[in-house]
Amino acid sequence: MIFRTTSPRPTLRKVRTTTAPRPLRHRLDPTKVEEIPFTASDGVRLGLTRIDPGERGHPAVLLLHGHTASADMFLLPETRNLVDVLLDEGYEPWLLDWRGSCRLPYNETGRRYTYDDVALYDIPEAVAHIRTRIGDRPLFAVAHCIGSLTLSLSMTAGLVPGLAGVASQGVFLTPKLAGRTSLRMTLAGELLKSRIDHIPVDFRKVGLWSKYTPLFALASRKADCPDPTCQILHNSAWGTGASLFVHEHLTDTTHGRLAELLGPAPLWILPHLRRIELARTVVRWHDTDHRYRALPQNALDAAATIDTPVLLLAGSENGLWLDSQQLCHDVLARRQPQLDVTYTEIPGYGHLDTFLGRGAALDVFGHILDFLGERR
Amino acid sequence: MREMNENMSAAAGRRATEEAIERGGGVGLTVSELLAKVQVKGVAEAVAPPSPAHRAPSPGPRDLTELATAVAAVAGRYVPAGRLALDADFFDAGGTSVNAVELVSALEGELGVAVDLDEVFADARPVALAKRHLASTGAAIAVPETEAVQPPPVAAAPVTTPPDSTARPEDLTQILADLALADRLPFTASPEPLPPRRVLLTGATGFLGSHMLLDLLRHSDAHVYCLVRAADEEAATTRLGEALKSYSLPWSSEVRRRITVLPGDIRHPHLGLSDDTWHTLAHELDSVVSVAAAVDFLRGYQSLRTSNVLGALTLAELAATGRPKPLHHISSIAVFNEVGIPSMGEDDPLAHIDRLVAGYDQTKWAAEVALRRARDHGLVVTALRPGGIGGHSRTGAYNPQDLSSGLISAFGRFRTVPAFRYLNAAPVDWVSRVAVAAICEPDAWGFDYNLTGVPNTLDDVVRDMAFGGMHVRVQDWDEWRTDALARLEADPIPELAFLSRVLQSPTALKLCEATLKGPAAVAERTNTLVEALGLPPAARYDARAQVKTFEALAHDGLARLPQKDDQPYLWFTETTTGGVGPVAGTPDTPCSMALTLSIASMHQLVSERRVDVRGEVTCPALHHEPLTVARGDIWIRPDEGIPHQHGLRHQLLRYRLELTDADGGRWWLEGHKYARARRDVWRQTRALTVELGREGEPASLTGEVVVPANSYVRDQIDGIKVDPRLTSQEKRAAKLTWLAWFGLEMGRGLLGPFARAAADLLDLRRTQTPTEHHR
Repeated sequence: MIFRTTSPRPTLRKVRTTTAPRPLRHRLDPTKVEEIPFTASDGVRLGLTRIDPGERGHPAVLLLHGHTASADMFLLPETRNLVDVLLDEGYEPWLLDWRGSCRLPYNETGRRYTYDDVALYDIPEAVAHIRTRIGDRPLFAVAHCIGSLTLSLSMTAGLVPGLAGVASQGVFLTPKLAGRTSLRMTLAGELLKSRIDHIPVDFRKVGLWSKYTPLFALASRKADCPDPTCQILHNSAWGTGASLFVHEHLTDTTHGRLAELLGPAPLWILPHLRRIELARTVVRWHDTDHRYRALPQNALDAAATIDTPVLLLAGSENGLWLDSQQLCHDVLARRQPQLDVTYTEIPGYGHLDTFLGRGAALDVFGHILDFLGERR
Repeated sequence: MREMNENMSAAAGRRATEEAIERGGGVGLTVSELLAKVQVKGVAEAVAPPSPAHRAPSPGPRDLTELATAVAAVAGRYVPAGRLALDADFFDAGGTSVNAVELVSALEGELGVAVDLDEVFADARPVALAKRHLASTGAAIAVPETEAVQPPPVAAAPVTTPPDSTARPEDLTQILADLALADRLPFTASPEPLPPRRVLLTGATGFLGSHMLLDLLRHSDAHVYCLVRAADEEAATTRLGEALKSYSLPWSSEVRRRITVLPGDIRHPHLGLSDDTWHTLAHELDSVVSVAAAVDFLRGYQSLRTSNVLGALTLAELAATGRPKPLHHISSIAVFNEVGIPSMGEDDPLAHIDRLVAGYDQTKWAAEVALRRARDHGLVVTALRPGGIGGHSRTGAYNPQDLSSGLISAFGRFRTVPAFRYLNAAPVDWVSRVAVAAICEPDAWGFDYNLTGVPNTLDDVVRDMAFGGMHVRVQDWDEWRTDALARLEADPIPELAFLSRVLQSPTALKLCEATLKGPAAVAERTNTLVEALGLPPAARYDARAQVKTFEALAHDGLARLPQKDDQPYLWFTETTTGGVGPVAGTPDTPCSMALTLSIASMHQLVSERRVDVRGEVTCPALHHEPLTVARGDIWIRPDEGIPHQHGLRHQLLRYRLELTDADGGRWWLEGHKYARARRDVWRQTRALTVELGREGEPASLTGEVVVPANSYVRDQIDGIKVDPRLTSQEKRAAKLTWLAWFGLEMGRGLLGPFARAAADLLDLRRTQTPTEHHR
């Protein structure tokens, strides 16, 4: 047989060790990067990293990555990244790898979770931990995609009070997918869920002949770029047919590292994502589990509890969440006019390239700095 | 040649002032020497405004210098500096076309000097104006015409032109002299074929230049030196920042850390930079990008040449001095702007210079031809020729001074277009991106590129505008011009004043005519470059790409979007009957509405998702007589249908009416149609839950009104009326578009709750035991 897959090597049972995040890839002075061993109260090991700005007394900024991405997305060594920009402007960046990070194994092999867990445990506990370190200094948050969506759930639940400001990219309280994307996501999810439990993005790890091959083949339809990882992300967004970034905006290096920056996507998260997306608002998954009662059933209905200025950012060409941010701005302006919510559209940008793009510092970070600067 | 120069200097001894420019035309001077002469004279001999007693018109023939001094004194009042040198150009000194009109009447009133406005635009130096006047009144005895315009020494005889040439002979003489300046450029070696690291960019405050600045920063690692016209660095930085912001471009610390702003001026020798800076730049830069130009379709060659020709030559001098570096010059498709030119390919012959009329076309031609000569000195010159540069397809940023902004606005306002062959226009984002790609790719250097995109034909434009709900009628160019002028005069629009001036100027009209009747530009080399570098291919600048620009034009008052009070594009009636009652009571009082729903354009539907409402509400619980709808709107699927409270009741339609009763009382009505996951779908589309109350007070009545099932099709499908000015084909298209759009939106709205209910059912499926490896 020409196509033969080697059976994967067995992994050892972890008896004496626990999960540890993969090392960060950055070009900062290693002594400036402080990795904090951080475990959520439900026992899940997370990653929390503090970048030392050198001087004390700077306002802190918590950076939240998107689902299947990781804190690496703010530290790209090949471009001018958000951490560089924040350090130069006198902020203290804190990077949280919540349980959806690809530096952690949970998406692929770990125990299952929903976005409720992220909103209830990961974000509030990280914020509480950072507060113990920074004292009274202001704490901002910059959040991307699902990081921002779960942050909105934490905020409306009142679990992270007193943030100095929140810059949200891609999606916030009102997620909206294209009908086609939503349909393909549901179809693929229902058909595949008895066969696989995650969609890999790195073709080199699964090989040419695997059960994922049809997915990669589907993703390559009408694709311009021959790289299978790029195809499944740029051309298909894990098989949903959406586009995660504007291809031209990535440097060749970033393009080559996509498989490292974005990990496999779990299929078992789809029911919660689908419920959120069809409701066009962030809703709780656990209706009967009282551990989650601190979270509101519907985050938009509880938006009055938001006590911080919010900057909604979105690329005009966002192929995944479309104009969710503009919708969020319009809805909040009508239903909660007392909130300080601004919307800024970044012309020509897609979803991920607002942070990974080679021109992100020029086109995107300026808006974030302006927002933070007015409120520091 | 020597005798010539000696003669000239002898003459200059007597009349130094008026000779300065002409002397510059001689081959004995380099660009910077020439510019230096102009500058020194300009500054040193600026004339102070005379006392009022001086202003009395003095009759009879006068000496040229005396008259020129008087003209300069009058003209000085209209420029920002308050004074004007005898041989300085009025427009270069900051005079506007409005000032020019004022200047003409002031000259006539105060000095008795009658000058034609077109003469002022053609050459607005006081010396030239005085000379013209003396020549025309026959009083030119003191100044022989042969000395007034100095022919270049290479051609001892005056320039001979074919009988059908249209350019002014003195302009042609000047052009020849300017072209000869290229021969004084130093010889230079080939530049290193590497992407640029240090770039000088001129014109960064302009429309194309500012977009190119950002693209240079985004798509290269270069540090960019921006030459900005200002007194000092601080003022220059402020000016650049304001310009970028006005074009919706970012201006943050991240932009500032990668640029250096140099206060300077392309019209000055060595760009107005100190010798130190000039030499540092000459040795450190590895690319020079020339974008700055004076774009004005009214002014003549004499008035524009300092910026557009001498400026380009100064940059060529910088590129050829010190370290060899390529010069990337933004030329223009205007170099082909001759009436009746057969083709406009990248390597096709340029227009015949003696048949170009507008000064702008002449200067762009002269600059490009001069730089072609510079190529023979070893300089690598890339000529990038944009056609019309349309507004940004994403931000809608446009060039307010550009003729195409005015024309598009006029097309939309008057609903007429002149019959043109092709519009060679591309959006600024594409032009800028491709220009920057050519600058960053060494293999692309040294060629000519047409950055014209895909030409729009007349049919394309008419169809695009119809697609946006603006059905236009085509007119002959002369008919259109007369018609548009008449309308602009009858109902002046300050924002379009420049368009009426252009439509009245004979030279600018020639330029328009050549543009509208010209062939489609061909851009094979550009297309190859775009394909090789994987850039977005040129696309037609169509309705979708233009919509943001059109919105911006409308926002700034140039264009006008169809509005509520206009003749509606499409309308139909809707009647509803039902009952209302007190809040928490029984809805037993009858209530009915007879409404007319209309849209002003499809653009309103797609961008605002809103329908205008007029009509009457009959509700005895409010008033015994029917109430009139003072203002009413219906939003289709507001907020994407997001329910008011958690649940499956999605919003389908929202009505908001402001009502006035016969006694002047004011009321509000808020109505909603909801989609639910229930089988009464037909009723969901018709039933309107309403709340009514006095203005400024909470709701006093609630109830439900329903569109009777038998009137729905009769009123809302068969009863659709369309703007009677449209043809029957256009009417059918309008009706179908509305029905398709509305049907699709309602379908999506109704599907929402069902999809959620279905998802809830799917979630009941047993969670599968994962079968994956690695576990």
